[in-house]
Amino acid sequence: MSMESPQPLTLPTRSRPRFGDLGLRTIAGSAAVVLTAIMVAIVYQVVREAHASIGQFGLGFLTDNEWNAVTNRFGALDLIWGTLYSSLLALLIAVPVAIAIGLYLSELAPSFLRTPVALMVELLAAIPSVVLGLWGILVLGPFLADHVEPFLGDNLGFIPLFSGTPSSHGMLPAVVVLTIMIVPIVASISRELFSSVPSDLKQGAMALGATRWEMVRSVAIPQVSGGLVAAVMLGFARAVGEAIAVSQVIGGTLNQSWSLFAPADTMAGRIASQYQGAATALQRSSLAYLAVILLVISLIANVSAQLISGRIQRRMGIRT
Amino acid sequence: MQTAKRFGTAVLVTGVVALAAACGSSGGSGTSGGTSASKVLVGAGSTLVAPLMSQWEPDYTKSSGVTITYGAIGSGGGIDAITARQVDFGASDAPLSAEQATACKDCLQVPWALAAVVPAYNLSDAPDHLKLNGDVIAKMYLGTITSWDDPAIKALNPGVTLPSTAVAPVYRSDGSGDSYVWSSFLSAISPDFKSKVGVSTQPAFTVGTGAEKSSGVAASVQSTDGAIGYVTVAYITADALHSALVQNAAGNFPQPTTAAITAAAAAVTTIQPDGSVPLVNPPASAADAYPISTYSYAIVPKSSPKASQLKAFLTYAVTTGQGFGPDLGYPGLPDNIVTHDKQVIGQIGS
Repeated sequence: MSMESPQPLTLPTRSRPRFGDLGLRTIAGSAAVVLTAIMVAIVYQVVREAHASIGQFGLGFLTDNEWNAVTNRFGALDLIWGTLYSSLLALLIAVPVAIAIGLYLSELAPSFLRTPVALMVELLAAIPSVVLGLWGILVLGPFLADHVEPFLGDNLGFIPLFSGTPSSHGMLPAVVVLTIMIVPIVASISRELFSSVPSDLKQGAMALGATRWEMVRSVAIPQVSGGLVAAVMLGFARAVGEAIAVSQVIGGTLNQSWSLFAPADTMAGRIASQYQGAATALQRSSLAYLAVILLVISLIANVSAQLISGRIQRRMGIRT
Repeated sequence: MQTAKRFGTAVLVTGVVALAAACGSSGGSGTSGGTSASKVLVGAGSTLVAPLMSQWEPDYTKSSGVTITYGAIGSGGGIDAITARQVDFGASDAPLSAEQATACKDCLQVPWALAAVVPAYNLSDAPDHLKLNGDVIAKMYLGTITSWDDPAIKALNPGVTLPSTAVAPVYRSDGSGDSYVWSSFLSAISPDFKSKVGVSTQPAFTVGTGAEKSSGVAASVQSTDGAIGYVTVAYITADALHSALVQNAAGNFPQPTTAAITAAAAAVTTIQPDGSVPLVNPPASAADAYPISTYSYAIVPKSSPKASQLKAFLTYAVTTGQGFGPDLGYPGLPDNIVTHDKQVIGQIGS
């Protein structure tokens, strides 16, 4: 998770070139080139596909909330809202939980528990999203609609978040499913991060009389905060891009509501459900336009993660 | 990156389909009139005809030696695949729109299966087979009828006690032939629905929740009290859903039986210039006709490298192949449509 690239390894040069070096250089270099080329090709293809829609709607696409294949008018506002709202809510729940898990596994858990619990957390990340979505439809959605949402509505209904009629498809199951997807990612990265804090620092803090909590708060967390930001951004990117599971539980409806009970839709979800069998060419192009927006959001998230964690590390004076 | 991944998958899927198509054509041309064992026809599209197709595949291979490979990827996907000529034939429950017909470049539509779309609902404390009409359903999907004890529903179901549960309309969030038939029917009955939502494989519903595929609609209806959705007959029986009876133009409430669908097909003999035969809301003269019936279409290019094989298979499908239908809930095609189909199939050349 280090944001500063390590010094390149310099080996003493020999007069005779070695085939091993050449082979390594070729394989590693071509892998890097191919990957970059694929990335460029994907961006090119997506933008080309989106061209008709970009030409037709321009930036107005971002502020229009109509999505109508009958009148051939498309706009992304409700979908952008649904994407950001669901991802940020999921992040809000997942990040504290995940960091707590990471801390527990690296600092607090008895050693016989660490490996099995860490394994379970990582297994959670291995559940295919379509399976999670199916569970969302069959188990989670009805449970939330029958038990959790009526309770929240009756007791906290005055908050816009919990207003409206309970529904088995909507923002709440989507947020829960996304949370389940983000937690293992952020948890395993933060576990690694906390384990990487030099033990002399930790022991030093303890030796100075710090409690375990004070050690975590004043030594461990600041030490890894740059990496934590990057982990959170990785979780955010996962949530923003998740298509299948979300489209199964969110209700596929254009909506801009604070209510967790209301159905909504996300950009990735809409691409997954409508790209194949789009009713018009312009609709297909507009779905590609959504993909362009997703690419831009991912780019912004990544760059800002780099900037933030770089700044934190500089401020902390940490060299890695 | 996730998006990139999805697109990658799409590319991969397309690649596989293209590969299958390529294998098919190389198999056909490689033998060039030799043994018939390696001949393959590749198709893709409608899930509605998939059960019928699974009967046709082995039977047709046995009698003709031509292997049929069919991918039930959905009507919209089938139209895309035949437009790109990745397959030998596409299948769609919705006829080609004008835009799609232009893009498909000289494609023919062959009505080759009859089916029906049925309203499914979940309403605790209410019996099966509630009676509804197009106007009431349209109002439910427009959000003007919001509870199940609405006077309009009560009037259609005298003697039935209806709960005040909120109506929760469910629709297909993906492009679907079912949505096309459903929105055609509601638009035919309700001018309000026609202007506010319209006819499409992806109508712009203003209220309700979307669900993916028929299985998603069935699951959503099952898990929501007060829900109403639409699926084809097979899903009603498979998922033990309650189905509503829909009033036809004659004022009757026929069950979506093969006889009632046949009655609708018999009442509509007009074939549109584009080759489609819309069956929804048949005239009142057909007293027992099911009002939300539809043809499913094979979509084939006018000029195909495998013209003779394609013609033979389509002819089989609209004649002998229809024999498998009634057991699976598909009534046989009426004679006038079979005659029409044969004439359309005759236009295929290489």
